[in-house]
Amino acid sequence: MKILLVDDDQDFIDVLSDRMIIREIDVTSVTSAKEAFGLVEKFSYDAIILDLQMPEIDGLQALERLKAINPDLPVILLTGHATVAKGVEAMKLGAIDVIEKPVDIRVLTEKLKKINTQKKSWWATKLHSTLGLKVL
Amino acid sequence: MISILGSANTLGLFFFGSMSASMSHEIKNALAIINEHAGLLDDLVRLSEKGKPLSTDRLKSLSANIGRQVQRADNIVGRLNRFAHSARQPVITTDTKEIFEFTAALVDRLASMNSVTITVGMDVEVPMQVRPFVLENLLWVCLKTMFSMISGPHSIEFKAKKKDSDVAIIIQFDEGVPVEMIGVHAAQEGQPLLIALRAVMSPDVQNNSITLTMPRKFEE
Repeated sequence: MKILLVDDDQDFIDVLSDRMIIREIDVTSVTSAKEAFGLVEKFSYDAIILDLQMPEIDGLQALERLKAINPDLPVILLTGHATVAKGVEAMKLGAIDVIEKPVDIRVLTEKLKKINTQKKSWWATKLHSTLGLKVL
Repeated sequence: MISILGSANTLGLFFFGSMSASMSHEIKNALAIINEHAGLLDDLVRLSEKGKPLSTDRLKSLSANIGRQVQRADNIVGRLNRFAHSARQPVITTDTKEIFEFTAALVDRLASMNSVTITVGMDVEVPMQVRPFVLENLLWVCLKTMFSMISGPHSIEFKAKKKDSDVAIIIQFDEGVPVEMIGVHAAQEGQPLLIALRAVMSPDVQNNSITLTMPRKFEE
């Protein structure tokens, strides 16, 4: 599974990346939304984990732009202090979840697994309906 | 007078809330990193139990990282504590440079979120009698107004100089900042603080700056 992790705190992304790698998740990390836009335009990711509060372009603005680049891209938002209003706004903009820091790695990996399963099932249905192929 | 004090107190409460929210967010970020390090240590122990050797260099590095994050959180708590005490501090004689440096540290994260760099440019001491919290609050009103009116990276320099019996506090902006608009809005919002400090705010479009002129000696 290929994940893009976007958070302006280098120390945080370093250690969270290490923990994800241990769980056999292929993770690329960047410290700004601008870098993330460039990567999403060039490469394909299974999901993006995006910090809500970042300098220059904040998480919600970044989410909007990422969804414009790839509307099907699943995005999970990370926040220090989740508010209901921000959560609702994020969901309206297409985020699939909002997770509060400190991150519970089990919760995060479960959510990523679910995204992966849904993606596989979506592709299986699409291949079956368009080509009559059965994915094993 | 009561309504002016009331408005100054309301502005003070907003200021206190904004700074406390920002600093508690910073503390939470440091705690989140400590939490991930604890989790990573746990992951490494589990892997070692399954036969993967545990690198002592890795452990040393993780331990050093945790120490750095504890230090980071401790610095923020120290700043928050000093700020909380300053809210009930009376008029004191202090160097303006000290107030600038503390304000810059207080708003550092919020400035960085808005791509603004704040520096203090003073070689000589300019002492004044003031309630530090009220002056910090007025500087915050100017900064907050600026943040809402700019996009892209900018820089600010705080300076002060003696001017007869007054002190002139200069907020020096770089090019491309709408100084006049900031001056008008900040003076409007910060009016109760200007009155409390007996200060006058004058935007200088030619020099990209706003000057706050107020007495060096505060008489009740």
